[in-house]
Amino acid sequence: MNTVHKNNVLLHPNSQGNNLNNWLNSYGGSGLEKALDAPEQIIELLKGAGLRGLGGSGFPAWKKWQFVAEQAANPDKYLICNGNEDEPGTFKDAYLLAHSPNQVIEGALISAVANGTNRIVFYINPEQKKSLESIRNAVEQWQNSELFQRVADYLGRPLSFRVMASSGHYIGGEETAAIESVEGKFPFPRGKPPYPAVSGVHGCPTLINNVETLSNIPHILRNGVQWFKDLGKGESSGTKIYCLSGDVFYPGVYELPMGIPLSELIFTHGGGMLLEKKLKAVFTGGASSTILTPKDLDVPLDFDSVRERGSSLGTGAMIVVSEGTGIVKRVTEYVNFYAHSSCGQCPPCKTGTFYISQLLNRIDTGQASNNDLDTLINLCKILPGSGRCHLLDGAINIVDSSLSHFVDEYKSSLKY
Amino acid sequence: MTSNISASGLSYEQALGNYHLQGEFPAHDLDIDKDDLLKQFHPDHRSETITTLQVGPNKGARCHAQLAQILQADSRIDAADLAGARIKETDVLVIGGGGAGCAAALTAVEAGAKVILATKLRLGDSNTIMAEGGIQASIEKEDSLQAHYLDTWKAGHKTGEKALIKQLVMEGPETIRWLIQQGMQFDLNQFGDLLTRKAGGTSGNRVVYFRDYTGLEMMRVLREAVQNSDVEVWDYSPAVELLSNESGHCAGAIVSSLEESRYVQIKASSVIIATGGIGRLHLNDFPTSNHFGATGDGLVLAYRLGARLRDLDSFQYHPTGVAYPQHLSGTLITEGLRSSGAYIINAQGKRFVNELQPRDVVAAAIIRECREGRGVQGDNGMQGVWLDTAGLEARNPGILQQRFPKLVQLGLKSNIDIKKIPMLIYPTLHYQNGGVVIDKNGLSSVSGLYCVGEVSGGIHGKNRLMGNALLEIISFGRKAGATAVKERQSRGHKQICIDHISNLRRELMQNNMPMKCKAPVLFPNYTKYDVSDEDDPHHSRIFDL
Repeated sequence: MNTVHKNNVLLHPNSQGNNLNNWLNSYGGSGLEKALDAPEQIIELLKGAGLRGLGGSGFPAWKKWQFVAEQAANPDKYLICNGNEDEPGTFKDAYLLAHSPNQVIEGALISAVANGTNRIVFYINPEQKKSLESIRNAVEQWQNSELFQRVADYLGRPLSFRVMASSGHYIGGEETAAIESVEGKFPFPRGKPPYPAVSGVHGCPTLINNVETLSNIPHILRNGVQWFKDLGKGESSGTKIYCLSGDVFYPGVYELPMGIPLSELIFTHGGGMLLEKKLKAVFTGGASSTILTPKDLDVPLDFDSVRERGSSLGTGAMIVVSEGTGIVKRVTEYVNFYAHSSCGQCPPCKTGTFYISQLLNRIDTGQASNNDLDTLINLCKILPGSGRCHLLDGAINIVDSSLSHFVDEYKSSLKY
Repeated sequence: MTSNISASGLSYEQALGNYHLQGEFPAHDLDIDKDDLLKQFHPDHRSETITTLQVGPNKGARCHAQLAQILQADSRIDAADLAGARIKETDVLVIGGGGAGCAAALTAVEAGAKVILATKLRLGDSNTIMAEGGIQASIEKEDSLQAHYLDTWKAGHKTGEKALIKQLVMEGPETIRWLIQQGMQFDLNQFGDLLTRKAGGTSGNRVVYFRDYTGLEMMRVLREAVQNSDVEVWDYSPAVELLSNESGHCAGAIVSSLEESRYVQIKASSVIIATGGIGRLHLNDFPTSNHFGATGDGLVLAYRLGARLRDLDSFQYHPTGVAYPQHLSGTLITEGLRSSGAYIINAQGKRFVNELQPRDVVAAAIIRECREGRGVQGDNGMQGVWLDTAGLEARNPGILQQRFPKLVQLGLKSNIDIKKIPMLIYPTLHYQNGGVVIDKNGLSSVSGLYCVGEVSGGIHGKNRLMGNALLEIISFGRKAGATAVKERQSRGHKQICIDHISNLRRELMQNNMPMKCKAPVLFPNYTKYDVSDEDDPHHSRIFDL
């Protein structure tokens, strides 16, 4: 899919394939060895490296680990490796799981050493059949390996792997919804607190990490903090897997330094715009999708810089949209997705997403009045924060963001 | 059409002088090396018309150059065209209003699904109504399913998909029963049993028929059934692009409403393509027996979404198309005539082929006669050979009026008394043997996308037997309809997109393909429904009628 870049870590050829022996022979296993040699230093290392949650939140990974590490096992601790990935335009976890599952599993075992998470669940989107098959195969090999036994001995508690197909619902990727799902129920998000770190699966402390986050961990342990920091650009550390899609010439999965400018991603790596059209907007993917516009082409793609532009790096998905595409139509499609995905548990979300999607459909098909647009703007003000999880906020974010950049396009779509 | 013929033949009058109305013609000297004949004279074997596909799932496969051009063409639409497009939702979307589409729609709606049938022209405007000879089903005592299977497989030069042929022949009798239940009439004997006759390339009497307009009768019944059902019929709504969901599952189509002059998105749990063949592309400059709408739209739509195709270099030229008068050129004369014993005779007044060989062999033999100077030269530059209607009438008085009323009508239109004078014929582009690769349920290699009828491939291999097409459209149409319903989703698709168009454009650009050509073609370029006019991207010319 891509040429080997000097910054490729997770996508490096040595990381590929689900054969455990190949992984151990190239350079795999050494991160876990180091973890077993000095378990108490692992979290400090992650803190030094500045690894962030790469599933969309950007929350410092070490903080989460520390919360869980501080809890007593009750009687178990859970790690959910979150591969539910279902956001529009995001396809990196599926790629990682299908092509290089060993680093994910090693990362999970390092968590077991650091945090005592002895029940490890790989929670995978069932529509990603290749990913499921690949990780099942790899997990089987790990379970019979010497390293697995050493971790089990170290823990002194039963260590188990479980590969589980998630429900396939978008909402199942939310942390507490994933916990419900692992318990065998419909993925309704729970209220917080208690936080998963305190009481998650069956009341046990539970750590939930994204596939890409876990993948980074063996590499950080093996190569050290400085190496990881040097990978990033400027203040940022490490690499990021960007999912580039839409109207570019070479869409695909790109592992590049955290903090490269948006223009470099689109024009250098993505080969520029398809049919040489003008760039109109970029939808960033993830739980809170927002819009970047051509004036943001210089923004460094890291969590903090993108946030400063009022957007969000999210999962690293970049859906490029060219001139000639209707923003209202695109936003309508997004909100239809959210309305479709609402679990229906919280009335403001259930009715809110539905109503916004209806309004947008009316505007898009030229049936709406000025009042409809005012209603939409009002809803964007009153709805946020009224659901248990962030699904509703996500839907509002994208509408709000498009209204702030393209309000004229909305107005010109009105009937009267 | 002269490019098909090299040597000039005898003049019409001269040839008519050589023709003697005889009772019998000697059947000797008709044994020929079929493979050699096909290689030398069948249009499929003209190497200069074959090219290799450069993009898409069949990259590297052999394909007729004219077909390749539309398979590797740019889309008619852009994301911008969809802004403001009306959205309609349904369970099953059927594209195509011929026999296959109707059979699929009826079966799906009976199973409780919400069905929209979108057709380019009007319901029933199709090649189904052109089918004259009949429909095959092994129902005679001395016939067997095995014989039907073997005939089909052999006629297709042993390249057909065995599992599909098996299903086709096994469904035969049940299909006839279903058609009778729908109200279709067949020719019966005095006891009320179905009459059967032999078709070219078959080992026994297996074709059931109604006069010489079996397909028209079939369509009459199906059309009434659809109109009396809950199927929502959209006339004048050709599909211009398919939609897919987040996992590549086909999720509906964009249709161009000719009456409203705008695009409409139809979201569906599954789509059944029944758009027929490509005769109206006039491959190799041949005239065609095909209906106006046969421009290969379904092949283009399916190919873009990633469906694999097969046998793209194999087409059927029906041996007996009208060659004179010119305004009727290409019009089909039923194979039933040869089944009933009519001979084919060259300008020298001699038989030159066993008329009941498979269609490709007979067509190649006719082309050979014309190319080697034994054809009849019409005054319009068109060549042909005789189809001895007069001889058939002489041997079986009254047969033409009774069994072939449509042909007699055709004779009247041509100002020729076909009971006394033979008809001038030449092969006509008739059928696309290949098409979208399907399984037993009509499912293509793209989930949610079903293809039935002429647009699909595999059943007939590289040559089709008479009567198997009508059987295929009904039996596979019903199967696809029943299976497509099962994909109904309670919550619909999460996301719907046209990303495959971007992928297509990328591939075209990467391979330096021209971006000027747009497909699907929708209408032949000589029609008033010209929607390809560049100055007029939206089809307003239709309203200049």
